[in-house]
Amino acid sequence: MLKERTIFLINADIDGELPADDKKELEVILASSDEARAMKAELLRLNNLLDSVPDQSPPADLSEQILSQLAPPPRTGGFSLAGLFSSFQPASAGLAFAAGLLLTVGFYELSPNHQSAGDTASMVGTMVASQPGIPQLLENDMFLKGDGFSGTVSLRENEGIYVLSFDLDSDNSTEIEVGLDRTGLSFGGFAETQGDRDEVVDSVAISGGTLRVVNQGRQQFAVFLRENGPEKDIDAASITIAFTSDVGQRKYGVPESQ
Amino acid sequence: MNSYSRDHALVKRCLSGERQALEEMVGLYEKPVYNAAYRILGNPDDAADATQVVFLKTFEHLGQYDPKYKLFSWIYRIAVNESINQLKRGRKQQPLDDQEVAGTRSPEAALAADDLSREIQGGLMDLKEDYRTVIVLRHFSECSYSQISEILQIPEKTVKSRLYSARQLMKETLQARGVH
Repeated sequence: MLKERTIFLINADIDGELPADDKKELEVILASSDEARAMKAELLRLNNLLDSVPDQSPPADLSEQILSQLAPPPRTGGFSLAGLFSSFQPASAGLAFAAGLLLTVGFYELSPNHQSAGDTASMVGTMVASQPGIPQLLENDMFLKGDGFSGTVSLRENEGIYVLSFDLDSDNSTEIEVGLDRTGLSFGGFAETQGDRDEVVDSVAISGGTLRVVNQGRQQFAVFLRENGPEKDIDAASITIAFTSDVGQRKYGVPESQ
Repeated sequence: MNSYSRDHALVKRCLSGERQALEEMVGLYEKPVYNAAYRILGNPDDAADATQVVFLKTFEHLGQYDPKYKLFSWIYRIAVNESINQLKRGRKQQPLDDQEVAGTRSPEAALAADDLSREIQGGLMDLKEDYRTVIVLRHFSECSYSQISEILQIPEKTVKSRLYSARQLMKETLQARGVH
């Protein structure tokens, strides 16, 4: 009867995971034990048998099938950034800066069918058009440019998962609030994808249906949203986003609903 | 760029919606995922179904990917779990059928090799799922002990003991089938 230690050494040797010191120990055992040599020979035979089985080739169209399921069909309705950001209003008449920034908030719907003069008439700032070859998953982008504050926010959806991706650069500490009231969505996750410092965003907190992120400098992060349930109506156009700077406590822009 | 950085970069590109990154990820992992699923499930149709679900789940949860793990391990974990879930859902298990490709071997050699493959797959299906999974990961997916430990989220010590037991059982089942 072989000792457990010997069985361990033989198996690890066959798997190529035996440290040099243990290998010497095994050599000594093998030199003196017929039973150990027989076990090693049997295991090697089994290994060779298993290794002789060829890999299976997946069906030729499998990757195509997978990729076709990953790309959502073209939208015929649903949300658009025009709807998403149409609720942006200055916080109050006293916040002149808010109105100023509001004017520099631009959105551009990638689908040319939905673009109208009304969507862009009041915009100043950076407008970036759809580019050839732009990924299908990328549906809507908003481009922001203000005094000491710029960036993009994009909204994408795939298989019921919504992703709001932020790429922001702010000179001052800025609080970003994402509100999900009446959207049929809830927060599913947060991921910082890139920052210009080694640290994560200054703070992230969820309270009720609102996510607050405090950020300064260049930061890229994503907020994952999930449907509350298959029975719920999703209204992504009701997502609200507000940016608040700590400079003079002035609000850059707040949604109408707040 | 090391493998962790490459993985992280690929995940970021996928998360940003880059179509080419999705294609790269499917291209990299489709065959190994399919093979692992095939060996656990025992038939090509179920393996293809499982592979599709694995990628859908992978992309659905990509935002939760922790870059401290290898992407390979993370996707394999999803693949193993999905395959075992399919088994538990009582999908039919039909060891190798005519879709086993003979390749360029002579008809006699192909027949002999196919018989052997069929018996080995049959032997695998005789094992309990835990044992079958470690054999598949070690011998068909060529994972190291530490990779298996990461994929199955069990201590390396458990991987070793489970693998040694699985080999012993595999040897016995193959002997019973007149193979070993």
